[in-house]
Amino acid sequence: MSSPVKCQPTLRVNSGAFPHGPGSVSACGLDPELVAVLASTTQPSDLLKSVFRVIVAAVPSPDGDGLPDMSGRYILYDDEVRFIPTFPLDTDVKYRVIFDARPLGFLRTEEPLMLEFLIPSDQKASALTEVTHIFPSSDLLPENLLRFYVCFSNSMHRGRALDEIALFDSGGRRVEDALYRPPVELWDRSMRHLTVLLDPGRLKRRVGPNMKLGPPLKASQSYTLEIGSGMIDVRGRPLRERSRKRFLVGDPVREEISVESWEVLPPVTGSRQPLAIMFKRPLDWALLSQAITISSAEGSTVGGQVVVDQSEKRWSFTPTSPWTAGMYHVCVGAGLEDVCGNSIVGAFDRPFRKNHQPATQTNSSSLIFELI
Amino acid sequence: MMRENSESVGHSRREVLQFAAASAVASAVGLALPGGLSAASGSLRSAGVLAFSPNNVLFVGDITGAKIHAFALRDKDLTSQIDVISGNFHNFEGRDHVVGLDQKLAALLGTTIDKIVVNDMAVHQPTQQIFLSVERGRGTNAVPAIVKVNHGRLEILDLDSIPHSQVSLPNQPDSKAMLEFEPQQVYAITDLEYYNGELFVSGITNQRFASTLYRIPYPFNSKMATCTVEIWHPVHGEFETRAPIIRHVIRELNGTPYLFAVYGCTPLVRFPVAALKDGAHVHGDVIGELGYGANPLDMLTFTSPADSKDYLLVTIDTRSASQIAVSDLASAPPQATGGGIDFGPGGLGRTQRALPIKAEHIAILNSKWAVLIWRHPKTTYRLDLSTLALPYFFERKDGMSEMNWPNGPDPFEYGKHRSELSNQ
Repeated sequence: MSSPVKCQPTLRVNSGAFPHGPGSVSACGLDPELVAVLASTTQPSDLLKSVFRVIVAAVPSPDGDGLPDMSGRYILYDDEVRFIPTFPLDTDVKYRVIFDARPLGFLRTEEPLMLEFLIPSDQKASALTEVTHIFPSSDLLPENLLRFYVCFSNSMHRGRALDEIALFDSGGRRVEDALYRPPVELWDRSMRHLTVLLDPGRLKRRVGPNMKLGPPLKASQSYTLEIGSGMIDVRGRPLRERSRKRFLVGDPVREEISVESWEVLPPVTGSRQPLAIMFKRPLDWALLSQAITISSAEGSTVGGQVVVDQSEKRWSFTPTSPWTAGMYHVCVGAGLEDVCGNSIVGAFDRPFRKNHQPATQTNSSSLIFELI
Repeated sequence: MMRENSESVGHSRREVLQFAAASAVASAVGLALPGGLSAASGSLRSAGVLAFSPNNVLFVGDITGAKIHAFALRDKDLTSQIDVISGNFHNFEGRDHVVGLDQKLAALLGTTIDKIVVNDMAVHQPTQQIFLSVERGRGTNAVPAIVKVNHGRLEILDLDSIPHSQVSLPNQPDSKAMLEFEPQQVYAITDLEYYNGELFVSGITNQRFASTLYRIPYPFNSKMATCTVEIWHPVHGEFETRAPIIRHVIRELNGTPYLFAVYGCTPLVRFPVAALKDGAHVHGDVIGELGYGANPLDMLTFTSPADSKDYLLVTIDTRSASQIAVSDLASAPPQATGGGIDFGPGGLGRTQRALPIKAEHIAILNSKWAVLIWRHPKTTYRLDLSTLALPYFFERKDGMSEMNWPNGPDPFEYGKHRSELSNQ
């Protein structure tokens, strides 16, 4: 386990590429001791040259000796040091930023920080990728929240989530070991949606990490999930800006989803009005898009479009063809979960009892409504 | 000191020469970038030909800006390179000062090698420090830089901090004006040389007689002499007034200063400096025809360490370099004018000596060594900055010969001198 008071700098690309501006690269959140040393040095650039480097990643190395770093100067602001390149950041060039203060003895990380980015010249693609949404949408989340979904405006590259995505407490301190570090980043097929889990071992009561560290989130505390701009999109570019989701933590939810409590708002027969279903509490955004289907009395599935909104408390279904009179089944897949991982079968973290019978015997559940 | 490649406007002149037939550079001309220029570029809008004055002033031809810039280098802008080992002089073994020059320039300037153009090289003789004029990018948004070599490492010359003056050249070609294959502006400033308190600048203007020589006093004042020049071009069988001088040098022969000029396709021409007066239309004497279908790259003179005589050297893109004794330059009779087309060679071209130089840029480093930017045949994927021993410009380690065999013959006593490395 890492020290909870570790100072972890972050790397950031400040937008503006030639010919629109010189652009710059920052290392933020520097160790105060390092800042003090740099501030007291007459030539901090000499120190920084070996600590904070910007290099062209694509240039092949010539025989024998190494290539020079990109020419530039450094400016120190509070806990940030900024590299201003002598020549503006070029387009379509892959840059690598390396921050490694270990030779100076100031950084308690094992690996140097690294960030790669590229600014494309293609004007049509000049809109940089950004975080479009972070689910759950609500800013009040249960203490035993299981996951976030981070959605991006473009497909992304793997490999940056561990460094760029972090949780901070209300004092701006990084919350260590709250987010699960999966061996493989959990992207969907489009590479636009990333699942960020809170450590299940700390969520499940009475297992080792939970007993040792407690739950990752504490009720009545507020937190910020931060997505750093160093996430790299499929074109090799960093994000337009970092993205933050602030939220307050409420009581945990440890019960199965009660389908019976859902409110079904039927559409008008003959219309293509959406069928809406209201939930008592937010359900999992990603699972909602697939877990609920509508079938006719004869068992054929009704085709249509699903929209999830109202902080994932409303599921709406607009049919491809107008509704006809008859009985309909709302079929709920056994995989549907709420934001805490509670399913229609049972709670994610339920007390273990002998001879316990799950509340729902079937693998799926359904509701019935009739249009006349 | 040294001349070289004029140029800018997004395409190196040399590139234009090489790809003239397929040239589509019109789109690259004109409208230079206002924003984005870095402080290190100072007032430069493009970086072309370079020349030094004896008192540490670095002149830079700026085609895009239609100016000649003068940067008065301070002591701190120069670092002596006298201690840098140039190679084994006796054994004709030069050394690489910078391996992968284009790769390293790309890294330093934050780009990829395809966007690196080296337009000229000049040596500051007192320190033997090598200066390069470089552009990052090949379009209208190219960013100029002056880079110096310090013990094999590349350093950006921070132009913004150096005392600077500039002079605008009048009657610059319109940025949209075209030659048959390329923009006229490419040749707006082809060469410059400092001589005795004046800058001599060659190039073309938008005037009727396009080939133009400027005499500009330095320090710059409002004075400037502009003359147009005319030659008889034997290979073309005509008098010519528009095609520009590509390279020139000024040398005193028998107490009289002459400007020697070389043109494309490839007349060598002599002008008395005294004739280059403001408003004059000057006729030059063609004293040599160095060979058709050739484009001169560099022209310089050097003193041979073998016979202590001075020689003129012209490097050429398509064939061996030409060496001509300087003593012949003054005495050579002008070629007859008004005859038919004569593919030559003629005059001093008949007695020129071919030298094995294949360099994109060359300059004299010191009394024993030249420095060149070139692609080694075995490593053509990169540019190297290397030394080459005077006066034969022969690099022994690049060749296969009987003497390279173990226990082979050793008529030049290579074995005896094998470990002799020198900086001079």
